[in-house]
Amino acid sequence: EKMASKVSVVLRPVKSIVVRFCPFESNVESTRKFLQCIYHKKVQATNTNCEVTTDVRHDGSEPVVDVMFADGDRLIMKGAHLTAGEMLTALASRCNAKDLKEEQKGKKKNP
Amino acid sequence: MAALGGGGTRWRRAWLPALQLLRRGSKAVTRHWKAMHFQRQKLLALTEYVSPRPAVPPRCLPRRSPQEPQEDGYARVLRRQAEQTLRDSRMVAVCHYNPMAEEDVATLRHYLRRHNIHLKFVLNEVMRPVLAQSKFRELLPLFVCRNVLLVSPEAPAREMLRVLKGVPHVTLLGACIDDTILSRRGVENFSRLPSLEVSQGQTVAALSLLSSQTSSLLQRGPAHLTALLDEHIRRLQGTGGAPETPPGH
Repeated sequence: EKMASKVSVVLRPVKSIVVRFCPFESNVESTRKFLQCIYHKKVQATNTNCEVTTDVRHDGSEPVVDVMFADGDRLIMKGAHLTAGEMLTALASRCNAKDLKEEQKGKKKNP
Repeated sequence: MAALGGGGTRWRRAWLPALQLLRRGSKAVTRHWKAMHFQRQKLLALTEYVSPRPAVPPRCLPRRSPQEPQEDGYARVLRRQAEQTLRDSRMVAVCHYNPMAEEDVATLRHYLRRHNIHLKFVLNEVMRPVLAQSKFRELLPLFVCRNVLLVSPEAPAREMLRVLKGVPHVTLLGACIDDTILSRRGVENFSRLPSLEVSQGQTVAALSLLSSQTSSLLQRGPAHLTALLDEHIRRLQGTGGAPETPPGH
């Protein structure tokens, strides 16, 4: 939660997030921490339409975070060798970039 | 001031320091830095603090081995409680806990309590040594990040899954039911199983199927013969003939 408040992800351009992991593996800690940060109320408050789904498997697959954006883009992060902070900053930077693009588009339409 | 002149060197012959100092000098407590009286300076220099030094410097002495981390009494109590909980319950489900509001936690606890499931918040540092020594060794990799235990003396898997479906913040990772470690899919399959009485009846029926088939096979011949003889009697009676004794008697 500390990381979430520091990184402050704005989930407005995100449509859905799917977090897939196998809990009996040993490389899922960062993915689970990422999931905890995503479920923080501040982050959830930025976009209540964003669906966060957790998929718990038992097939020894790698932990994966699949983010679908509203404009059709897709971000796949493999959490086996990433830290939660890195995943959060990556998501935050992309969300901010998309937000800026939307604002610029809005300004162009209504000058 | 003119009568006294400047204090110090010029008027050494008639120098009454008490009078002169009082009339000319500043007070004892000043806002500027005042030079110390020489006697005071000497006294302070004599009475300066000298720190005691050991005869042998400590780095020349043999180093003490690092002491073992002292056991925390509270941790011991928590561990004992956890061991007792694990021993008493038939079903132990481990769930990943995402932070949620207090009232949501209270509501979830209420709904689980209805089915006699107890919600327990656990600390990983307390649980790890307990699990390592018990039969739940396989559940060790689950205890990373915040977790929550759902324990119950019975095994109400179906109700638990139904309650957890309505709470997205808590994710079921795995469970140990009746000394069997199950993954999430295993718990779902377990919940779809019929109850004990129904499955016992099914087993009995399956076992007795073969013997019932054998008995029906053995009885098929005589049953066929009896049916044919009955038909014959009916036909004879139907044609109105005398009630002759049927052949074979």
